[in-house]
Amino acid sequence: MPTIELSHVSKVYRTIKKDSGLRGAVKALFRPHYVEKVAVHDLSFHVDAGEVVGYIGVNGAGKSTTIKMLTGILHPSGGSIRVLGRDPHRERVANAREIGVVFGQRTQLWWDLALRESLNLIANIYELEPARYRQLLAEFAQTLELEELLSVPIRSMSLGQKMRAELAATFLHQPRVVYLDEPTIGLDVMVKERIRAFIRDQNQRNGTTVMLTTHDLDDIEQLCQRVIIIDAGSVVYDGPLSTIKQRFGTFRSIAFETAHPLEIEHLILPLGTAIASHGERALEVRFDRTVTSASQVATALMPQIEAIDFSLAEPDLESIIKQIYAGTHTAALREEVLV
Amino acid sequence: MRRYARLYWHFLLQRFKILLEYRMNFVIGAGSTVLLQAAGLLAVWSVMRQIPDLNGWTFDEILLVYGLITLSKSINHMFADNLWIFGRAYIRTGGFDRFLVRPINPLFHLLADRFCHDGIGNFVVGIALVLKASLALHIAWTPINIAYCLVAVVSGGVIFIALNLLTAVSAFWIIDSIPVTSAIFQTHEFAKYPLTIYSRGIGIVMTWLIPYGFASFYPAAHLLGRPIGVLAWLGPLIAVALITLAYRIWLWGLSHYSSTGS
Amino acid sequence: MTLALRRKGRLYRSIAVMTFKQYLAYNLWFWVQLLGQILMMTVFVFFWRAVYAGRGTVGGLEQQQTITYILLAQMIAPLVQWGQILPMGDLVREGMIAIELTRPVDLQERFYIETLSSLGYSLLQQVLTVGLFARFVFHLQLPSDPAIWAAFGLTLLLGNAILFCFDWMFACLAFYSTEVWGLHVVREGTVMFFSGALVPLVMLPGWLQSVASWMPFSQALYTPVALLSGIIPAAQAPQVWLVQLAWLAALAVGSRVVFRLAVRKVTVQGG
Repeated sequence: MPTIELSHVSKVYRTIKKDSGLRGAVKALFRPHYVEKVAVHDLSFHVDAGEVVGYIGVNGAGKSTTIKMLTGILHPSGGSIRVLGRDPHRERVANAREIGVVFGQRTQLWWDLALRESLNLIANIYELEPARYRQLLAEFAQTLELEELLSVPIRSMSLGQKMRAELAATFLHQPRVVYLDEPTIGLDVMVKERIRAFIRDQNQRNGTTVMLTTHDLDDIEQLCQRVIIIDAGSVVYDGPLSTIKQRFGTFRSIAFETAHPLEIEHLILPLGTAIASHGERALEVRFDRTVTSASQVATALMPQIEAIDFSLAEPDLESIIKQIYAGTHTAALREEVLV
Repeated sequence: MRRYARLYWHFLLQRFKILLEYRMNFVIGAGSTVLLQAAGLLAVWSVMRQIPDLNGWTFDEILLVYGLITLSKSINHMFADNLWIFGRAYIRTGGFDRFLVRPINPLFHLLADRFCHDGIGNFVVGIALVLKASLALHIAWTPINIAYCLVAVVSGGVIFIALNLLTAVSAFWIIDSIPVTSAIFQTHEFAKYPLTIYSRGIGIVMTWLIPYGFASFYPAAHLLGRPIGVLAWLGPLIAVALITLAYRIWLWGLSHYSSTGS
Repeated sequence: MTLALRRKGRLYRSIAVMTFKQYLAYNLWFWVQLLGQILMMTVFVFFWRAVYAGRGTVGGLEQQQTITYILLAQMIAPLVQWGQILPMGDLVREGMIAIELTRPVDLQERFYIETLSSLGYSLLQQVLTVGLFARFVFHLQLPSDPAIWAAFGLTLLLGNAILFCFDWMFACLAFYSTEVWGLHVVREGTVMFFSGALVPLVMLPGWLQSVASWMPFSQALYTPVALLSGIIPAAQAPQVWLVQLAWLAALAVGSRVVFRLAVRKVTVQGG
C-alpha cells in the first residue's frame, strides 16, 4: 500500500462574485452569482513509504491546494485521497497524529513563548511520552543546533533560527509523513545545508516520507530522488530528477545589456540558440551547451549588438519548469538544436 | 475529557508566563475593564441615590443584577475572547489551518490558544458587586444559594459564549465577524437592569431570543425571593440548548471552510 | 500667501474626502454601530422613564429635560468616544511615525483636520440616523431658536478642539507603552463618565461635579448638550465660551510640548 495515494482528485472552488459596496453585498445575498475556479484537476500520483518527493509548480499551479487536501484541511470535490490508508479529511484527527507540516513562512510556534515552552506545549498536544520527548529534544537540540535557542522567544529569532525551531516542532511527534512547504526560502547557504541534512537524516533513520515544495533546485538535487511537476492543477511530469536534468539541464543562458536599442528582427542567431527574452536594451539568449558554447554565442552576437555588459546564467528550476510548461516551444527548440 | 482539561491547564500555564513577562500590560489590561465598569456603576449610583427604587428595585438589588451579568460576561471574556478575533487573527492569516493539522478539536484549540487576562478585571468586579449586594440585602449564603449562584453564573457564561460562537461562525464566510458578533453582544446592555423596566417586547426578546436575561435578571430575582416561577430554573437548560445549537452551526461552518478554504 | 492658503485648502479637502471614503468602506460596521447606538438609547430611555416613574423632578431636572439631554448626549457620545491613542499606537508600533514626521504637513494639524472633518460627517450621520430615530420613536424635542443652535455649534466646535488637544497628549503615551488598547479603555471609561455621556453632570453629587469641572471632558459633550436641552440657559453662553477658550489655550500649548517631548524619545532611541 502506498503511503500517499491520489486518484483522479479534483478541487473546484465555488465562490460568490460580489459587486462592491452595500448594494453588491445585498445583491449577492439574494441572487448569488457563482464563479467556479478549478484549482486541481484529475490529479493522480502515489508516494511510497520512505520516499522524498519534490512537488513542483509555479504559484497558483495547485501545490498548496494539494497539500491542504493531503493534510485534511480541505476535502476534494472529486476523486479519492488516501494517506496511510486513511481519508485525511474524514479521519482528520487520526491523520493529524501521523503527519507533520511546515507551512512556508507561517510559524506553528507561539510568538511570545520561549522555544522550550512552545515545544512542551506541542509535546502535550501530541501526547508524547515524557521520557521519549526528553530524548528527542536533546537529539534535535544537537542536530539542529538549538541549545542556545531553547530559552529564546520565537519573536526574537532570525529567519534561519525560526525555521530550525519550526523543523524541531514538526518532527517532534515522529510523524510518518511530513509536508514541507518552502523550508529553505530566504535562508543563507549554511542554514540551508543544516536543514537539508536534518531532513535527510530523519528520512534515512525513521523512514519518514517527505513531500517537499520548493523553488530551490539545490533542495531538490540534494533531497529528492523523484519530482512531480504540476501545472494548472494536473501532473505534467512525474519521474526521477536525473531525466529532467538530462533533458533540460543542458541549457544555459546569456544576458546582454546593449548600448543602443535593439533591432531584434535583424539579429542572426547562431545554431542551437534561441531568444529567451528581450527588452529595449536587453537580450537573453538560451543555448544548448552540448551543441555550442558560451564563447561561440558571445562571439557571434557581440558584433551585432554592441553589448556593454553580459552575464552567463545556469538554469534554475524555475526556468526549467517554464520550459517544460511551454512544451511545444521546447520541442521546437530541441528540434532546431538537433537539426 | 481529562486529556483536554490537562491540555487546557498547559495552555493556561504558558499564557501566564507570557503575561508575567508583560506585567505592565497585564495590570493595564485587567485594570482598564475595572475602570470601565466603575464608570457605568458610578452613573447608576449617582442617579439611584436620589430615588428610593427603580421600578421596585433598590440600588443594592440592581447591583446584584449588574454583578451577575458582569460575572457571566467575565467567563466569556476570559475563556472565549478569541471568538471575537477568530476571523481576523486566525482565518485571514491562515493560522486556523494549523489547528486543523493538529490532533485536537479545533474549537478547543482556538479557545485555549488565548486566555484573556482583561476578563479578570470583570471577574473581580462581578464578585465584589455580588458580595456587596448580598451583604446589604441579607441574602444567606446557604449551600443551596451558593450552588444556585454558581450554576447561574456558569449558565450565563455559556449563554454569552454560545451567542458569540454562533456569530463568530460567520467568519467562515465573511472573515471579519466582529460586527456580526458585536450586533448581538451589544444587547446584553439591556440585561444590566431589571427587565421589568422595559416594554414587554424587549423582555420577551431578552428571555427567549437573545436570552441574556438568564445571565442576570432571572437568577437575581430568584435569589431575592421574587416570584418568577419556572424561569428561575430554565437558565442551565437554555444554556445547554444554545451551546449545542451553536456547536452544530460551528461544525457546519467548518465543513463549508473545508470545501472552500475560505 | 493666497497660494499657500489655497494649497493648504486643497490638502485639507483631500484629507477630508479620504476620511469620508473610509467611512463608507465599513458598511457592515456602520450598521452595527447604528444598531448599537439605537440599543443604548433604548436602554437609557427606559431606564430614565423608570427613574421618573411618578416623580416630578429628579436632581432638579424634569423628565422631558433629562430625556432630551440623554438622547442628545447619546448622539454626541460617538464623537468623544474614540480619541487618538489607537491610530497613534498603530503609527508607533509599525514604525510609521518616523516617516509621518518627515512629511511636509504638521502631524498634529493633520490629525486635527481629520478629527474636524469626521466631526462634521458623524454629526450629519448622527442626525440623519439616530437623530431621526430619537425624534420619531422617543419624541426628541429641540429648541427652535436659531441663536441657541448657533451657540450650540460654536460650543461643540470649541469643546471638540479642547478634547482633541487632551487626546493628543494622551496619545503620546503610545510612545511609552505598547498596551494602547488598555489605555484606550481607561480613557473611554473616564471620558464617557466625566463628559456627561451617561448622566447629566448636574445630577452628580457635589464632589463629583467639582472633579468633573477640573477635567476638560465636559466641554466636548455636557456643555453643548446642556445648552441645547436648556439645562444651561442661553444667556450664559458667553461665559461658557470664555471658559472654553481658556481650556483650549492651555491644552493647545500643553499638547505641543508633550508631543515634542515624546517625539524626542523616538528620535533618541532611533524608532
